Amino acid sequence: MKINRRLLMSFDWIWFFAVLALACVGLVAIWSTTEGTSLNSYFGRQALYLCLSLACFLIVLYFDYHVYSDFISFIYAAGLVVLGSVLFFGQSIHSNRSWLSVGPFAFQPSELMKVIVIVALAKYYAESEREHLELSELTIGGLIVLVPTVLVILQGDLGTAVTFLPVYLALSFLGGLKRKHVFVIVLAGVLAAPVGWMMLKDYQKGRIYTVLNPDNDPRHMGYQTIQSKIAIGSGKFLGKGFKQGTQGHLGFLPARHTDFVFSVLSEEKGFLGSISILALFLFVFLRLLRTARESKDKIGMLIVAGVFSLFIFHVTINLGMVVGLLPIAGIPLPLVSAGGSSLVTSFAAMGLCMNIKMRRYVN
Amino acid sequence: MSLQPESNRQLIQQRLALFYIPVILVFLVLAARLWQLQILQGNEYALKAEQNRIRTIQVVAPRGTILDRYNHPLVENRPSFNILLYREAIKDDSGTTNFIIEKLGVRPEDLVARLRRNKSSGLYRPIVIKEDVGIDDISVVEAHKRDRPEIQLGPEPRRLYRYGSLAAHVLGYVGEISEDELLSNAFPDSKTGDLVGKSGVERMYNACMTGQDGRRQVLVDSLGREMGLLEEIDSAVGGELWLTIDLELQTVAESLLAGKVGAILAMDPRNGEILAMASAPSFDPNNFSTRISEQDWNLLINDPNRPLQNRSIQNSYSPGSVFKLVMAEAALEEGLVGENTRVHCGGAAMFYNRLFHCHIKQGHGSLDLQTAITKSCNIFFYEMGRRMGISKIAQHAHALGLGERTGIDLPGERNGVLPSPEWKMQTRGSKWFAGETISVAIGQGAVSTTPLQVLRAVSAIAMDGKFVTPHVLLRAERAQEDPAQWPVSRVSLDPDSAQMIRQGMWSSVNNWGTSHNAAIPGLDICGKTGTVQIISIENKKAVQRDPSLVEDHSWFTGFASRDNPEIAVVVFLEHGGRGGIAAAPLAKELFRTYFARKGRPELLTQLTGARNIGAR
Repeated sequence: MKINRRLLMSFDWIWFFAVLALACVGLVAIWSTTEGTSLNSYFGRQALYLCLSLACFLIVLYFDYHVYSDFISFIYAAGLVVLGSVLFFGQSIHSNRSWLSVGPFAFQPSELMKVIVIVALAKYYAESEREHLELSELTIGGLIVLVPTVLVILQGDLGTAVTFLPVYLALSFLGGLKRKHVFVIVLAGVLAAPVGWMMLKDYQKGRIYTVLNPDNDPRHMGYQTIQSKIAIGSGKFLGKGFKQGTQGHLGFLPARHTDFVFSVLSEEKGFLGSISILALFLFVFLRLLRTARESKDKIGMLIVAGVFSLFIFHVTINLGMVVGLLPIAGIPLPLVSAGGSSLVTSFAAMGLCMNIKMRRYVN
Repeated sequence: MSLQPESNRQLIQQRLALFYIPVILVFLVLAARLWQLQILQGNEYALKAEQNRIRTIQVVAPRGTILDRYNHPLVENRPSFNILLYREAIKDDSGTTNFIIEKLGVRPEDLVARLRRNKSSGLYRPIVIKEDVGIDDISVVEAHKRDRPEIQLGPEPRRLYRYGSLAAHVLGYVGEISEDELLSNAFPDSKTGDLVGKSGVERMYNACMTGQDGRRQVLVDSLGREMGLLEEIDSAVGGELWLTIDLELQTVAESLLAGKVGAILAMDPRNGEILAMASAPSFDPNNFSTRISEQDWNLLINDPNRPLQNRSIQNSYSPGSVFKLVMAEAALEEGLVGENTRVHCGGAAMFYNRLFHCHIKQGHGSLDLQTAITKSCNIFFYEMGRRMGISKIAQHAHALGLGERTGIDLPGERNGVLPSPEWKMQTRGSKWFAGETISVAIGQGAVSTTPLQVLRAVSAIAMDGKFVTPHVLLRAERAQEDPAQWPVSRVSLDPDSAQMIRQGMWSSVNNWGTSHNAAIPGLDICGKTGTVQIISIENKKAVQRDPSLVEDHSWFTGFASRDNPEIAVVVFLEHGGRGGIAAAPLAKELFRTYFARKGRPELLTQLTGARNIGAR
């Protein structure tokens, strides 16, 4: 395939730099908070992952996205095999058996599976000829999502498993969910809530109580939330400066390079910094929505919408958690948190959306 | 791609437009929340962050205790307090500095040195500014708890050597890990500031005795007051160690060496277990259990008598006449002498155009091997040396372990020297003279051995050639990675030959030989004395200024009993005088102590008289 000049012209540099800026901000925060501690290997590794991610981004961009969707059934099947093999050959890190070792690196196949599921589901819904989705189609679409979800749950990674749900709901909604089905789902959700509540483990319930009243139990359940709020709040308008955050450096913040990386940034860069990161994310989301609306065909639109819903779910849950509005859940901030699998997957997903945007006029 | 029905596309566009709502909503809420936390409540949270301090307090684990073979504790731990400085809590530098110097009496240069040493360790790690403080310092720190939160007390278990300098060279001492040791990874699991074994058993079995440090994470407010405990991990005491040392025998050995310079060793010849190992002068390892002051250290290392040196393994000396035992073994094994071989001693003899003397001017007359050992006749062994040649001598001495480390489980053991023509060419670049062989034959000249090597060689003779590896570890609660091995081998020694040497040694003690001062009635002690000339008789007269330094070195080595050896002994005294007079009586005391406990209590009643001989 020759690289079309027009194709190159429609590369969205601003969008790309917004994404890159978020990754770099994350890199700086990781450096600031881990250098000179026992975590000091994270910065170098994350920098390496960023290079790998950029390569991934370019590769995904190179081929027309229809190439991926045409082969998606094979990719999806391969993904399931890898995901299943993790159950047998996987490594446990932090009690989640969701890692595969590739040389010196450990990789989480469940991260990449998120994107594969989006493309697979988009492809399935896009091929529907009808205006609205039939119950049978909803069910098959549900199975496409459910099988990997169950495998991820079996790995013990409930946090990642939950992220498949918004993708399914968003794509089904866009794909032509009937109005009555919308009501059924909402109703089911309302009814399922108490059942789900009963299925939660005690520590998970504790996290939810904590959001409602963190000062109740400051040493235990509420500890992380309180420390995160202190970190963010004490940053005030301008922040304490690079490597000056006492909350992060004194070890008050848990998982400060991963799930709570935003707290470190807010402490050291202040309101100015945290609102800028928020703006960068907002910009990326608006770009995604515009790309979805302008995309050439239904499948492109559905893929972008799927990536959008995945990202907004992650960002909402993570930021809601660190500012103390949502319960603690082990969900990282995409593009920013330390973690190779998550970063590579995020860049691959962005590459896919940029691909769709660039080829909206090209046949 | 199939074309989409227009209506469906419209539906998607409509529904997609709805997606803007959650985006805007989420970002408005998050932005508002950040405004609330960082702008509206910023000062409040800044105050909380200021008050938020975690302190990680290291709980140093006590090292394992060391016991003797009969469960008497030799080394234990005692509680102590250090004064710690938490640098992150310092409000004004000069105030803190003045407080440390004036109120706590830390010398300014010491403080500077300590701060410099800890520059690289994390800011939030406390540094020790004064160790093992007394009640005065403790009350000063306690009294200023409020206004000097950066200065705190930290408990630390400290080594307690119950008997002071007793067996100091075996036990060794502990000290703060040095930068070299950190770099060379000599102690893989240790970090800056840790105490590690520096010598002796403390060094050798450091890993067995090192405990697992614990830690306490506490929340403190801006005044350094503890607000709560976050995490507590208990420390785990290190493993216990049992030594082969016999406290009673060791005590006697040490007291016998009081005021002298030398070494006394006792070993079970059957298995190589060291029962006593004393070296004098000694030192008190308790002085090292805190970080030793520079002054004390200089005093120790500049002492001309080198108290830190373990003379039984870390220095080598001419063996003198005790070497004749090796010569006897070699001559017998080479078939150069038999039961009836006799040599005439006329007080002096010519070898290679030089006149060599015996220690008795009038000579011993005609004597066989046994009598030669008993009387320690030089001429007999000169003749053996002449017949054998240096290579054969070196070969047999080597087989008996002389001039080579014994492999004892203590650091810093020396090889000593076993001369040969090749050795001389290599080290001195000159040819071997046949006359030197004659000197070596009576343990003079270039040959030099550690007392422990002599002890092992004698044990082999006592045990018909069984060749043990001396060791001080009996057992360890926690074994080191590679379990200690004490290989036992055999020296080729005909039982009849060994019997002949032993009989000569028995006569030396019990039949008015040179070792008669070691005799205990009713005990079949075998022994051999040695007297090493430091300086020739002519020169002796010239050096009159310090007569003590030209005095001969004294040796005695022996075992008991003759037919059932269970203890072998070596006594070595620097400038002690004649071996039979200075060294043999000390060995006698050791034998007496050992056998008195073995159901021969009547031996103890004879003790006083023997002491007098020893002191003379």
